[in-house]
Amino acid sequence: MARRFALKRRATLRKGIAVSIKKRYVLLFVLPALILYVTFVIYPFIFSFILSFYKWPGAGAKTFVGLQNFKDILFGSFGNEFRNAFMHNIYYFILVTIFELGLGFLLAIFLVSIVKGKRFFQMMVYLPNIISMILVGFIWSMMLNPQIGLVNQFLRHVGLGALAQPWLGDPNLALNTIIAVNVWRNLGFYVLVFTASLLDIPRELLEAAYIDGASNFKVITKILFPLTIPTFQTLSILLFIWTFNVFDIVYALEGAQAGPFRSTDVLGTLFYRTAFGGLGSSRADFGLGAAVAVLIFLVVMPLSLVYAYVVDRRSRNA
Amino acid sequence: MRKVMVFSSILVLLVIMMMASTTIQIWSWRSQDAPVWKEVQKEMNAQGIDVKIDFRSFLPTEYDSKVQIALQGGKGPDIIYSRRLPGQRTQALIDAGLLVPIDGKVSFSHFNTSVLNFIKASNGKHYGVPFAVQVVGIFYNKDIYKKYGLKVPKTWSELVKNAETLKKNGVTPFFVPGKAGWALAMQHAMTGVSVLGPCWIKRLLDGETNFLDPAWVHVNKLLNDLKVYYQKGYMANTTDDLNAAFAFGQAAMVFYGIWGYGMWKELNPNVNVGYFMVPPDCEYSQPWAYVFMDGSLALTSNSKHPDMALKVLQFAATPRFGTIFAKETLNIPAVKGATMPNVPILQKVLKVAEEHASPYVYWVGSVLTAHSPSLYTDVLSPGMQAMYAGKITPEEFAKMAQDKISQWYKPLMKK
Repeated sequence: MARRFALKRRATLRKGIAVSIKKRYVLLFVLPALILYVTFVIYPFIFSFILSFYKWPGAGAKTFVGLQNFKDILFGSFGNEFRNAFMHNIYYFILVTIFELGLGFLLAIFLVSIVKGKRFFQMMVYLPNIISMILVGFIWSMMLNPQIGLVNQFLRHVGLGALAQPWLGDPNLALNTIIAVNVWRNLGFYVLVFTASLLDIPRELLEAAYIDGASNFKVITKILFPLTIPTFQTLSILLFIWTFNVFDIVYALEGAQAGPFRSTDVLGTLFYRTAFGGLGSSRADFGLGAAVAVLIFLVVMPLSLVYAYVVDRRSRNA
Repeated sequence: MRKVMVFSSILVLLVIMMMASTTIQIWSWRSQDAPVWKEVQKEMNAQGIDVKIDFRSFLPTEYDSKVQIALQGGKGPDIIYSRRLPGQRTQALIDAGLLVPIDGKVSFSHFNTSVLNFIKASNGKHYGVPFAVQVVGIFYNKDIYKKYGLKVPKTWSELVKNAETLKKNGVTPFFVPGKAGWALAMQHAMTGVSVLGPCWIKRLLDGETNFLDPAWVHVNKLLNDLKVYYQKGYMANTTDDLNAAFAFGQAAMVFYGIWGYGMWKELNPNVNVGYFMVPPDCEYSQPWAYVFMDGSLALTSNSKHPDMALKVLQFAATPRFGTIFAKETLNIPAVKGATMPNVPILQKVLKVAEEHASPYVYWVGSVLTAHSPSLYTDVLSPGMQAMYAGKITPEEFAKMAQDKISQWYKPLMKK
């Protein structure tokens, strides 16, 4: 009995050592990624946070200004611009969510239902996604040129010249145009995710529904949509985070000035202007830019936590 | 074996050659200056100075941050194209000791005092060698003007009359790049110097008047009323569109700068371009030109070869550099005594710069653009776009200017 107990104890001890060695290995393996994460995520974040309390044109000594940068951005000289940019981010998020998720879902249904040309359509839908955003900006700047652009030329050619507009120059159209370009560029990704989600739905469910006489509309609204709601949740949270960090497409199509007269301004372009300055000799203030970045973080962080919670809960339920 | 020996000998020769010449790196926002530095290198080499110039240009919108980050990190080039003073960008580099004063090391005998003021810091020292003077105004297609029997306007109403004649004949009178806020700011500024006059601008800078003055509102109105003569969809056009359209005669006039001339000629060597200052609103007033120093070549404290970099700057301060600069870029050099290429428009613009430059301005080179909110970035650029789009009235534009600038510019705070 005593021998058995001793053996058992020795085995437990050996297992404990094995676990601790494993932990050490795990740490060793994680270390490179951790170093990169700390260097490129944690350190810049802490640096930005500290910098947001200073005035610093990017060279020379930093001057501590306390909460002045936040005051300037929220209530001072940049108050209107911040509110304007923030509202544009909200608007951007709403429209992008409706179009990218809505169209993505419908196109995914189309793609899983067709038999012929499935691969071709999948490729066509996904193709814009592999083009860099700067290139997308260049292409669409040309396409939307009011005089020689393909879009207006086409409209004039088919007798719809009255609809030809200065798409990127009209303050009422510019942001919507950018959103449309964004949808064109990113739709393929959402189609891909929804396609995967739809293919996960057991075929028996659909077959049973059709046998019971359900229409296509009923199948979509009563089976496909409810079963892809978790995908909608995840994607909309991700979209929220992405749209609050949007910069490249606006910069590529309208520049850092986010024209006409800030009608396409988002927090990303506001950050760029405040951090790196405007045109010519105007003021650059990395402290002010850092304060904008901190405020963006404060908006995005709670949603990121919700996202992490939703994903975690789903994996537990699974 | 023989091949290896030949290869090694070539390699050794290359290394010796590379070691012999000193490489000076220059960073700029002006890509069009690349041939200038090739010529300068050739000329300096011919003078027995063994220098190799490595010229690199960056996008103007990204240039300043690249310079700032590189210099702050102890890297970067020997010489940078530096923005004019007063201006917080250059001042920050000076305050951080990243630029080196060149007083006593480079002769400024070939520069006017007005030009040197743009490189003089608050400590009284000079940072950089000015390289170009820019003149902005109205450039017109001489062939179109001739075809419709038009004359260079002496007053604003004559300008409008010319535009009306052109429009009636199906010609686009003005091509305006409405998407480029900076170009609209420039349009306002060049109109302002002629219509308001330098005395009014001086009174504004001194705080004796402000942006709510009916005179400033009047300039806004003049420009707002002119938009009926712009090309269709002008708010979506860029300066690239302007260059192409003007070079190929799709519009008769543009509010632009002399730096565009080289580009127009490159696009269409047959384009026949003329220049006139924005006419004043009254026949008894004289027109004024908006002239500004574009920038300077400044020595950085991170230079690995400061002695050789100084030799390059010394050369850049000579009329010979000005001659090369004018020939290669068709721009006006800042240095005096340069031989200008035989291009009539350059001669004309140079004369205007010498005789009609407004001593007071409110766009680039003005104190009103040196802080945030800046009259350039935060008022004129978005304000002009807003007014042109009909979102604000000329009066609201004036209020916007007054509200923003009076936040920090002391002389206007009391008004």
